[in-house]
Amino acid sequence: MTNTDKKQFSIVSILALGVAITWYIGLALTPTDQAMGEIYRVIYFHVPCAITAFALAYVLFFASILSFRKSSNQSVYWGRAAAELGFVFTVLTLATGSIWGYPTWGVWWTWDARITTTFLLALLYAGYILLYNGLPRGSKRTKACAILGILIAVDVPIIYKSVTWWRTLHQPPSILREGGSSMDPEMLQALLLNFGSIFLLTGGLLYLRVVNLNLASKLEAESYNAMES
Amino acid sequence: MEFVRQCRLLTGHYIRIEFAQPERLISSLLFSTTILLIFIFSMGKTEPNLVPNLFIAESFLTGFFALQISFARSLEPDTQDEVYSLMRTYPLSPSAWFTSKYCLVVMTGTLVMFPTILVAAFFHLEARVPLLHPEIFLIAFLALIGLAAIGVLLSTMMLGANTRQILYPIIYFPLTCPVLISAVEASRAIIDGTQDLSTLFSSWLGLLLIFDIIYCTIGFLLFGELTKAD
Repeated sequence: MTNTDKKQFSIVSILALGVAITWYIGLALTPTDQAMGEIYRVIYFHVPCAITAFALAYVLFFASILSFRKSSNQSVYWGRAAAELGFVFTVLTLATGSIWGYPTWGVWWTWDARITTTFLLALLYAGYILLYNGLPRGSKRTKACAILGILIAVDVPIIYKSVTWWRTLHQPPSILREGGSSMDPEMLQALLLNFGSIFLLTGGLLYLRVVNLNLASKLEAESYNAMES
Repeated sequence: MEFVRQCRLLTGHYIRIEFAQPERLISSLLFSTTILLIFIFSMGKTEPNLVPNLFIAESFLTGFFALQISFARSLEPDTQDEVYSLMRTYPLSPSAWFTSKYCLVVMTGTLVMFPTILVAAFFHLEARVPLLHPEIFLIAFLALIGLAAIGVLLSTMMLGANTRQILYPIIYFPLTCPVLISAVEASRAIIDGTQDLSTLFSSWLGLLLIFDIIYCTIGFLLFGELTKAD
């Protein structure tokens, strides 16, 4: 392990510890919800995961725009890293939503508009990763993935607006809405803390993954050179 | 003017190729009729009030499946005999190339989608309300505009991918959902008689048009990036 590796590892560990602390605050120090009881605490993981999954679609979008403008591979790696993390966070959103859904709606899964559109986002992230792996390295892959990245970003506003456009089981927005947040201020503070910690951890993981992809690319190039010589 | 000339020449050329092999169109029509039959048999006898919903779902899904196959193959003639590689190096406007390809798939799509709607209506003659309205064909055509743009773009993106046959539907289906949902909802409102076209333009048809514009713009602007010679 080099000094840089150790430094990166310790930064991500600190960020992960931050997430653990904010979870503790959400799980142990906030009041119980009168209507939903203790199960509502899933919110401290579910909502930040969902927002992070959506935000990563925009990281992917900007990385895609940049890959048309710049010839270096960096933006493609940022896009790939964003798609991978986006997929993980979308799956976590669906899983935690399901855990929350069973006691509140009585079902693990329902073909509700928001759940279905979020599931479609997971499929699109998976499609991006498959397309990246399915195409040979080069400008064709860069451009094809960039176009898909732009198209994925188009899906996010639909998911966000789905609860207002369609009659759904999923509750409407309770934080960003007309007339201000309907949440208890103590709960809202804990939720915002969780947002912050998960965002920071995602940033760290994103950076680490890009470093990792750069290393993989260098190794691949070196192995080609070795084979040629 | 050069753009229009190239568009006209390419579209004419593509139409000649398409209709030189009529089995390309006939196979899509046969496929959609088969899928319709499977739907009808699998649903069995349904409540008369559910027939309009079933008719819309069957028509759009069947059309969608049939179109997905023809869109995925839209660049196939170009890839034969190195034509695709030659066209990329030719002084040809990529926008003209996209537009001509797009016009062709909209035309063939219409020739698949409209008969599919007619056959689906024929299979549901027992419906208590009239299923065929001119507005339904307009909505289907508007859906086709978006589906065709994304179809041509994805078909170009997938050229050279190892897992093209699997990848195409995986990416195509989620991207076309907004178009399909708005087309289905708008058609249902027309058949139910709850809304007319003018009110639908501020709801479902508006959403459909927005996605048509987004997909056509993205296709028109980015097709050139995909076909640019390295």
